[in-house]
Amino acid sequence: MKPGLRIDSLRVLGFGRFSGMTRELGPGLHLLYGPNEAGKSTLLAFLRSMLFGFEKNGHPERYEPKSGGPFGGELRLTTDVGPLLVRRVAAGRRAKGELSVLGPDGQFLPPERLEDALGHVSRELFFDVFAFRLDELAGFERLTEQRGASEALVAASMRGARRLPEVVARLQKSADELYKPNGTKPMLNETLKKLEEVQSRLREVGDRPARYFAERERLATLGEEQRGLDAELLSVGREVERLARLEAALGDLVALAEVRAELESLPALEHFPEGGEARLEDALLRNRNQRAEGARLEQRLATVRAGLERLSTPSRVRGREEALRLALAAYQERSGLMRALPARRAAVAEKRRQVERELKELGLPVDGPGLLALDLSAGVRATLEELATRLGAVETECREASGNRSRLRAERERLDGEVAGAEAELARLPETLPGQVRQQQAGLARMRGVRAELEKLGEQRAELRRQFESARTQSEPPPVEVVVPVWWVPAVAAVVVVFSVVAWLLAGTQVAVLCGVGGLLLTGVLEMARRRVETARASALEAHAARQRGRQQEEERLRSVLVGLAAREEVLHRELLASAQEAGMTPVATPADMASKEAALAEALEQAGRRESLVREREKQGAEQGRAQREERRAEEVLREVEQRQAELARTLAGHLAARSFPVTLPASAALALWRDAAALKQRLLDVGTEEAALSVDEQTCAPVAMRLWEEAVAAGLASEPVATVPSPSTLETVAARVSAALETAREQDVEHRALEQNHRELLAEKARLDGLCHAEETAIATLLAEGGATDEESFRRRAAQAHRYAELSHRARELSQRLEARTGLSESQAREALRETGGEQGLHSALEFQRARHTEAQQRQKEVLTDRGALKQLLEQWENDGELSRLRIEEESLKARAAELATRYAADRLALALLSRARRRFEEEQQPRVVQLASEHFDALTGGRYRRVIIPNAEERELRVSDGEQDWSAASLSRGTREQLYLAFRLAVVRDFAETRGALPLIVDDVLVNFDPERARGAIRLFARLATQQQVIAFTCHPWLRELFEAEGARVQELDSSTSKPQQASLTVLQAG
Amino acid sequence: MPFKFVHAADLHLDTPFRGVAAQGPLPGRFQESTFRALTRIVDLCLRERVAFLLLAGDLFDVKDRSVRARLALRSELARLHSAGIQSFIVHGNHDPLSGDTGTLGLPASVKVFGPDWEEAEVVREGRRLCRVQGVSYPDVEVRDDLSARFRRTGEGFSVGLLHANLGGAEGHANYAPCTSAGLGSRGLDYWALGHVHTRAEHLLPGGGVAVYPGNPQGRHANEAGERGCVLVEVEDGGMRRRFVPVDGVRWHKLELPLSGLGTLDGLLDTAVEAVESRCSAELDGHAVRLTLTGRGPLHRELARPGALAQVETDLRERLAQGHPPVLLESLRDSTRPELDLEAVRASGGFARTLLEEARFLVESPAELARLWEQEALGSLGQRLKRLGVDALEAPRPEWVVGAGRHGVESLHEEEAS
Repeated sequence: MKPGLRIDSLRVLGFGRFSGMTRELGPGLHLLYGPNEAGKSTLLAFLRSMLFGFEKNGHPERYEPKSGGPFGGELRLTTDVGPLLVRRVAAGRRAKGELSVLGPDGQFLPPERLEDALGHVSRELFFDVFAFRLDELAGFERLTEQRGASEALVAASMRGARRLPEVVARLQKSADELYKPNGTKPMLNETLKKLEEVQSRLREVGDRPARYFAERERLATLGEEQRGLDAELLSVGREVERLARLEAALGDLVALAEVRAELESLPALEHFPEGGEARLEDALLRNRNQRAEGARLEQRLATVRAGLERLSTPSRVRGREEALRLALAAYQERSGLMRALPARRAAVAEKRRQVERELKELGLPVDGPGLLALDLSAGVRATLEELATRLGAVETECREASGNRSRLRAERERLDGEVAGAEAELARLPETLPGQVRQQQAGLARMRGVRAELEKLGEQRAELRRQFESARTQSEPPPVEVVVPVWWVPAVAAVVVVFSVVAWLLAGTQVAVLCGVGGLLLTGVLEMARRRVETARASALEAHAARQRGRQQEEERLRSVLVGLAAREEVLHRELLASAQEAGMTPVATPADMASKEAALAEALEQAGRRESLVREREKQGAEQGRAQREERRAEEVLREVEQRQAELARTLAGHLAARSFPVTLPASAALALWRDAAALKQRLLDVGTEEAALSVDEQTCAPVAMRLWEEAVAAGLASEPVATVPSPSTLETVAARVSAALETAREQDVEHRALEQNHRELLAEKARLDGLCHAEETAIATLLAEGGATDEESFRRRAAQAHRYAELSHRARELSQRLEARTGLSESQAREALRETGGEQGLHSALEFQRARHTEAQQRQKEVLTDRGALKQLLEQWENDGELSRLRIEEESLKARAAELATRYAADRLALALLSRARRRFEEEQQPRVVQLASEHFDALTGGRYRRVIIPNAEERELRVSDGEQDWSAASLSRGTREQLYLAFRLAVVRDFAETRGALPLIVDDVLVNFDPERARGAIRLFARLATQQQVIAFTCHPWLRELFEAEGARVQELDSSTSKPQQASLTVLQAG
Repeated sequence: MPFKFVHAADLHLDTPFRGVAAQGPLPGRFQESTFRALTRIVDLCLRERVAFLLLAGDLFDVKDRSVRARLALRSELARLHSAGIQSFIVHGNHDPLSGDTGTLGLPASVKVFGPDWEEAEVVREGRRLCRVQGVSYPDVEVRDDLSARFRRTGEGFSVGLLHANLGGAEGHANYAPCTSAGLGSRGLDYWALGHVHTRAEHLLPGGGVAVYPGNPQGRHANEAGERGCVLVEVEDGGMRRRFVPVDGVRWHKLELPLSGLGTLDGLLDTAVEAVESRCSAELDGHAVRLTLTGRGPLHRELARPGALAQVETDLRERLAQGHPPVLLESLRDSTRPELDLEAVRASGGFARTLLEEARFLVESPAELARLWEQEALGSLGQRLKRLGVDALEAPRPEWVVGAGRHGVESLHEEEAS
């Protein structure tokens, strides 16, 4: 039995309806008795929660107080490592609550200590086996029903395989998903099915290469057959074609025979002129038309001749047309000039008058010719412009020099004023130097410092003197201590001896010895006390002597400090005297005197500073004054020089103006403007002269032209009389118009004459041609009649009709013959021969039908062969290029790989399952007998010997069975009570096994015995009691009869009544572990 | 007269990648890689101006029934024929003569050996360069030592072309079993072998050499690393052999320790980084099996249902988008929880019983076989075998160990939760 854990007490801070409740527990069997709703299940949940954490939020067994307040509690435990206090309270978001594990001294321990104490039992196992209710007993039943008792046992007791059933289920599920021997849905089944399909398709495809080469052979055979069929088709086709042509030509042959018979009946008209009748009619018609045309030509000739006669009358103009045209052309060439001459003359005169008027207005003392004689060239203008520019520059310089001089003069005057002001201020200030004043100020400051230091020194001396005095007066008396004298000890010893003797005498030896020993002990104690007092006194005396020495040293030190202070005072007095002299005061001056002196010195220092700066400023101003005077003189010199240059330039300008008759006083710019005006006028005067000369030249060239035109007009009778001078332009215009009109009339008549003559000639030529044509036509008609073998037109027409029929028949015969040849390729005679050879028309039809049948048959076969070949070629090409086979093979390989992978996974799962199963059996064989043995014992005890054993057969069903030694039953066949006893027996077995192997944990049962009969309940409680000798057992019940049974087994009973269920205020006291 | 030849084997043309359980475009694209490997072999022959090409069996799988494989073989050998390069072929267990060999219509310069021993000569400019001897498998299962039929017939360089299992190599069916001593006694200079997919050279007693070039294109995670063919240069009786990789898609088996990783996103990034750092950019693509190892806080998260599958899907998508693309064959979780099994065992209880039971089963094959049958895993294994799935053929002790560990972890996780 390994030590485990025991609950010594519990304290509920707040859990469900409990609040502030405390219960003491301890080793052995405990019964918590209470009516329904007293809180038994709540307490069970409390104990579970304290050890393993609260249930999740919303769980019915979380029992969080609805009224708020603290949630949690404490357990005081005894464990193999000592007492522990386990506290768990709700905290934050952690559903399990905040766990604290405290040691005996209240120190915090790691939570693992609790897990260690619990033997690392899992929450589920603890809830299933160690702390359970009646309904959870049935939960165990369900577990056995579903998974088999063996697995339940393993699950309940096996370390490291708590969830074996889940793992097995998962593996089984995984394996089932992979493959089922008779399934269709699992992955491997599907893959294998697909693989079979692919392989079946591959089988369908067959041995392609073998078929490929066989089909290739067949293709070659078909090719041969096709070539034979092609040749046969060709020959039969030709025969059919030949016969068909012959058949088609049958009608033509008959018609040809008829035509030839009719031709035989007609005379020989092969040489009758072709189209003779039409040609005759045409010739006759043309002859008639030519005659009518000849009559119309005669009429037009007569009209033309009359016109020629009308145009041949005489005229004065005729013969002079050339002279008139030349004169008119010369006139027209200059007519514009002539019309403009008077206006130009008047305009030139007007311009001259205007120029002369402007010349007068200009005010120059010259007339037109005088102006022309003046030199107004560009050189003169350039000279004038240069002079004007230089004059302008000199004037600007003159103005600048003048302005500069006046500015400098004002500057100098300002500086004179400033120098005078500074002189006046200097005269007002005293002649003191700032250095002297500062020296006085420094003396005064030192004097003040020395006086302050003297005062401080006085104070120090007083203080030291006071200390000295007090040190002197502080001398203390030596400590006086009453000491027990030495002789007291022998005296007391003697008294003791005396008392001992007296006691011996009075009470005997025993008492005397006691008294003697007691007295001697007291004497010893007295001697020890005395010595301790002696030691204390000696140390006090030493301390006093040390203090006295220290005080004397302090006095010496103070004295030497006082002497030092006196020497320092002397030095300070001498320094005070010196500084007073320096400051110009007596050493005994009051602070008020010193303050007034200090103010006076500050003012003197300010004045001295001001004077010094004024002197420096005056020196600077004197220098500036001298410089200003020099600059003023220089500016005056510059001004004079500029004025001289200006006068010189004015003289030069006057010289130039006089040379051009311009007013001498004229300024340069005005002279330049005058020059421009005069030059412009001169130019205009020159232009007028030029225009006048051009006008006279034009007048001289126009006069002969006008005269010649007039003369020619008179000669042609178009003007009245000859004139001596040039007539007016309007007259000339009139004559010119007349001449022009006459010339136009003469030209038109000439043109008309020429046209008529041309017409006349053409008409004559046309008439001659017509006469020739008439003659030729009559000759042709005579020839035609002769060709047609006719004497007149009538007989010719009759023969023409016969010739037409002859030609038609001949053409028809030729056409038929050609068609026959075209259709059959044979001449008429050959065709008739061939027809005869085939047995005439009847024979031809039957032969044709036969050949056609052959041809159709061959064609049909050829089509079949072609189709076969095409299909075969396509198939072979498909096999050569088609990837279906390789695709199927790839798919097959892929499916094989997939199948191999799935099969391997399936095998791994199956092997793992099998291995787990074998391991479980082996584990059961090795590990389980102890549990089963214990369970058998418990079940035997519970059933009062009715059932001796619990069996787990090694069959696959793994059913839990019970046996009475002779017969065995399945658990399912037992009554409910007996079944619950069986499961309780298993639980107790696991609890004991756990205690033996891992640690004794408390067993907590909540009314699990209600379905037991009293006898078996007693047996169960007896088992609890026996278990309680090793480990704690806590039971809950609400049944009085069970309470009695528990009490009979020595259980410690605590009642849970309604009063405990009322909420109470949580106490602040805390359980102390241990 | 010096000459060169190329030795390749186990082309397995148009054979799909194995073990890739994922659908998607990449497996289809990578299917072409066997063809590209053949093209590169032929390119190598042309570039090196070799005298002949040796193909030592398993040119394709009969069960693939691929017409494209036959046509590709024909067109590539036609290229060699045009360049005047001879080809020698023997058939192996995957393409025996009893099945359709696909050799119809091969160019005239291709010599396909029959079921009986034959010898052919390679002649250049009127001089014999080499003798090539070979035997093809008449049927799938050939248990005789075919090499015993070979023999040296004369002077000059002699080559034996054979599909055989030399020394009983594991992981390959023991067809045409032979030994080094047996091959050496035949007196040939060069044994051009096929069948074993891992490159190997065996120096034979007597001076000859037997060479497995390996398959030119890896097709599953156990065929990781470079794959290609062997270029042999013969001069003055001596020879130089050089391995030339021709694979376009390379397989890798990578492990990713879980330690230090705190989130699934971090795991994803680290995995992508680890894979990309190992995958060369010159190839057309890569295929990767990634195994998570070690202990780490992510183990519990990965153990959640569907978590690993989700990570695998995400990782597969990300890797497939890379350049070159990477096909994630599978993401395997070999991580362990932070659980000390020894401590668990020492602490006793049910876990200890479980682990001891597992140990007992591992040590008792008969008991394990009984359990295997009891759990109906044997019948499932047979069903899978009928469908061509190589899984659960026999119980493996490591599965039992894993199951025990899994059980303890599950119980522990429950305890911890």
